[in-house]
Amino acid sequence: MPELYLRMLDRILTPVLLILTFFLLLRGHNLPGGGFIAGLMAAAAFQLQILSRGEEVVRKQVGQYIQPGIGIGLLVAVGAGIAGVLGSTGFFKGIWFDISLGPLGYLEIGTPVIFDFGVFAVVVSVVTSYLLGLNRVAEGVDA
Amino acid sequence: MNPNLLAVPIALPLFTAALLLAVSRWGGRQLIDLQRGLTAIALLVNLGVALALANYTLSGHRLVLQMGGWQAPFGITLVADGLTSILLTMAAIIFLAVLPFAIGTIDFHRERMGYYPLTLFLLMGINGAFLAGDLFNLYVFFEVMLMASFVLLTVGGQPAQTHSGIRYVVLNLIASLVFLAAAGIAYGTLGTLNMAHMAERLQTAAPAVKTLLAGLLFVSFGSKAGLFPLFFWLPSSYHTPPPAVMALFGGLLTKVGVYTLFRSFTLFFPDLLVAWQPLILGVAGATMLIGVLGAMSQPTVRRVLSFHIISQVGYMIMGLGVAVDGQNLAMGFGLAAAILYMIHHIIVKSTLILAGGAIQIEMGSDELARIGGLVSKRPLLAILFFLAAIALAGIPPFSGFVSKLSLLQITMDSGHWLVAGISVVVSLLTLNSMTALWRETFWGEYEHPGRLTPWLLDAPLRRWLVLGPIAGLLVLSLGLGLFGERFFQMTNTAAQQALDQAGYIAAVRPVEPESVAGPADYPAESPTDKGGHDE
Repeated sequence: MPELYLRMLDRILTPVLLILTFFLLLRGHNLPGGGFIAGLMAAAAFQLQILSRGEEVVRKQVGQYIQPGIGIGLLVAVGAGIAGVLGSTGFFKGIWFDISLGPLGYLEIGTPVIFDFGVFAVVVSVVTSYLLGLNRVAEGVDA
Repeated sequence: MNPNLLAVPIALPLFTAALLLAVSRWGGRQLIDLQRGLTAIALLVNLGVALALANYTLSGHRLVLQMGGWQAPFGITLVADGLTSILLTMAAIIFLAVLPFAIGTIDFHRERMGYYPLTLFLLMGINGAFLAGDLFNLYVFFEVMLMASFVLLTVGGQPAQTHSGIRYVVLNLIASLVFLAAAGIAYGTLGTLNMAHMAERLQTAAPAVKTLLAGLLFVSFGSKAGLFPLFFWLPSSYHTPPPAVMALFGGLLTKVGVYTLFRSFTLFFPDLLVAWQPLILGVAGATMLIGVLGAMSQPTVRRVLSFHIISQVGYMIMGLGVAVDGQNLAMGFGLAAAILYMIHHIIVKSTLILAGGAIQIEMGSDELARIGGLVSKRPLLAILFFLAAIALAGIPPFSGFVSKLSLLQITMDSGHWLVAGISVVVSLLTLNSMTALWRETFWGEYEHPGRLTPWLLDAPLRRWLVLGPIAGLLVLSLGLGLFGERFFQMTNTAAQQALDQAGYIAAVRPVEPESVAGPADYPAESPTDKGGHDE
């Protein structure tokens, strides 16, 4: 049941949501944000797509990536923890690198950021699969 | 020993499950064989690590991992002592034993819906609950366990499964809620959730705080363990999933509740083990009796077995009740006997559930009134089931005998004649119930209600996949019975470690937070520092 208004709107809103997602994801280590919240927000972008284009279209596009997404996200998250062991310090010990960006300053990146990416992938996959399932039930009732 | 090893029983199942999820639908193909292989490798490594931990801790050491290098009580702490590593080993053995049975019996639909990753998540939750060094992570791992088991219960979508799954999850969530309330109260009154830190501060805490916390934890863990009168979720849900799933649940899930009871009462409230002894022993006696009476009135094999789980949890709690009691026997004898009983129960109960499941699949039903005479078709299964049944009832030379004998010794030694008498009566009733079960199933006229003739044990490969684990676990039970002395020494080490509160605190070594003071140090009437911990 594609909606005309929403189809107009989602062209603007979906990119905005996804950029905001990325912003929240990277800001999350020391400030509110992080993988979980960013994942929820990205799933909100998918829900917008579901509302405007219908559940079937979205399922056709992203459905096959959901289960691998959960798995890969978990792998990345656990891998970030194991990296601490390989760095001979301890499980889940954060390892940080400073990458110089010239005039822009420094980019701090480390295993906690990678962990957040993993959490992000898990959350966005899980919540999107919930949303697809719930929307299928809702559309089934309407029909 | 490298403390990072403690992360393996949690990280390895998680990692493997993630890998299985990531590759299981690669390119539209189902890589079931790959899933089975990877699961087997992960479970073998897990068993190896658990044995290494047991070898280290049972020589009197503790192993502590402060994750990410953050000192307790700020970071996540994992602790292994003898009790923990014994149970980690038992979980590893049961998961490994159930895997071939699952490969032989689980239907393709469940394998496709992620049976193997789900069992690995369940293992992660169980291992995590054994290892957790703080109350909040214990809660988290309980939830991991609950969610994984809920999905395993309901995958397949039969109406009976969904029905029992909902009861299971709602009643367990209520128990979790009580636990969460206890954790909140602990944090509000003690200012910490780290278990060693809590134990330290509880020594000087107000009696009301102690009573409240102990009561809430007893209710919530007791409900998870299936104690009277909070056991009713168990028999209403355990008989619906496939036998391979039920063996994991029946063998291990309630024992996580028992473990947390052991841990919390020995670490937090050692004095309440004396003060609350009548309550603990009363609950234990009622659980034993109600469980076995319930079992005698049930119409199907698997329902009988689920009620026996409840009855036997009562024995373990009886051991907890006399943990620090006794006149001639050493202190901790009761706890050691209870741990030995737990090992015996985990092995034998899983064996019986697997054998009962094989009966059900062979006959197409496990209603006692409708089946019979299987001994003529499947003599080997009949023998194995019989041996497991008498092991459960406590006939020598199997493990049930030594563990029940040591429990009986300590209850009589400490002069609790009533509960000792109940335990003997319950043993007799268990024997009666198990022989009746065997007679109804294997003896008499051949009755077969299913539409198919027995098929499960016809193919040679599947026969060994199904009977191999049952026989293997029986050999373990026999070994435990024959070398009872040696195993009792091990569980005695574990019990002494568990009762050594000061040793646990010293091993975790929680640092005192400097700016943030808990009320244990600064009573609330200090005018300058009102409610210092919730700034």
